[in-house]
Amino acid sequence: MHDFILLLCFSLPTMAKEGTVTYAGDSGEFIFTPGSSQSPTDLFPEFKDVMPGDTLVQKIKVKNAASKEVKVKIYLRALGAQADSQDFLSQLGLKVRTASNNTMAYMFDAAASETAQLSDWVCLGTLYSGGVVNLEVLLEVPVTLGNEYSGQTGYLDWDFKVEEFPVEDDDPVPPTGDSFNRPLWITVLAGAGIVLILLFILRRRREAA
Amino acid sequence: MLRSIKLKIVAVALVTILMTFFAQGTLAFYSTTGKATNVVTSGEIQFIIHETTDQGTVFPEEGAYIVPGDVVSKEVTIENTCTHPFYLRVKVVYGVNAQELSAEDCFKLNINETHWEYYEGWYYYKGILTPGETTPYVFSHVEIVGDKVDNSYIGKTLSLTVSAHAVQSEHNPITDGKTYTASGWPME
Repeated sequence: MHDFILLLCFSLPTMAKEGTVTYAGDSGEFIFTPGSSQSPTDLFPEFKDVMPGDTLVQKIKVKNAASKEVKVKIYLRALGAQADSQDFLSQLGLKVRTASNNTMAYMFDAAASETAQLSDWVCLGTLYSGGVVNLEVLLEVPVTLGNEYSGQTGYLDWDFKVEEFPVEDDDPVPPTGDSFNRPLWITVLAGAGIVLILLFILRRRREAA
Repeated sequence: MLRSIKLKIVAVALVTILMTFFAQGTLAFYSTTGKATNVVTSGEIQFIIHETTDQGTVFPEEGAYIVPGDVVSKEVTIENTCTHPFYLRVKVVYGVNAQELSAEDCFKLNINETHWEYYEGWYYYKGILTPGETTPYVFSHVEIVGDKVDNSYIGKTLSLTVSAHAVQSEHNPITDGKTYTASGWPME
């Protein structure tokens, strides 16, 4: 029993904390999690207490939780560092890309204080109901970062925008996970019906005889 | 005639309905924005220097009255009070409140050379101090050297100041296990 408990303890993985951006539909607000004590809309739980030489990855899920009648286009743009965070964040490198394609170039690759390639809206994708875009944010803290930047807090703002469109007939059907085999079950039902009819006819004939 | 007008009205209405239908397919229903304020915080290195007696009590801030030859119990340890491991070094500075006197050689310390290594004026802790850990003592007793502290020191105050520096051990390799080879030691 003790061995089992020990094994269980060792098998527990260290879970990376994920940020999520959820659009609930009907022009409602975005929901940002997990937030932090510094900001309720903070998407960077992995970028706390960083040290010189650190290279950290923050995964962010952008979800469409709107109804099935609409598809959405989700956009992102960076507003840069807040005024009192410029100096600190200008020391750090930040990269952003969608995680679905590792060969894709970073859509943002600059100092964390800048807006750079995300100065204008960049479309993250068209999402159907339940659809997700995975973002990967990479933070690079130079090993040369001086003592004057220890214990600092930096704020950087991101804007998300959504546009809803009606789902059209020629839109691809998103995978639903439903593996129901309709032709097979129709054939089985038809076969069962024929067998029942045959049994009924045979019974009537026997009764008549 | 009347029938022709009715047909035209129906035709126009149908075209209008069809145009409205297709127009809906190209316009967005809704658009909305939301702002996320993301936060990056940097860590810091923090420690506390503990000075205790062999009774386990805190060494008195006002000091202790001494006479030549006394051996004073003063155990110095350092505790890592942050969330990061670090390398550590300690320096002992002597002083006396009289310009004509020198405090050098007035004290003799029993340095813990098992865990501390002397290099260019500093005692370097030989390992990495992990979060929540406290070092073994740097020294535990101070002897007042009788040959040096003569009558000219009567009524004077001798001081012994311990100062410490720490530098992060993450992403900071050392050579041959010598912690003084780490990068980032602050300038004195």
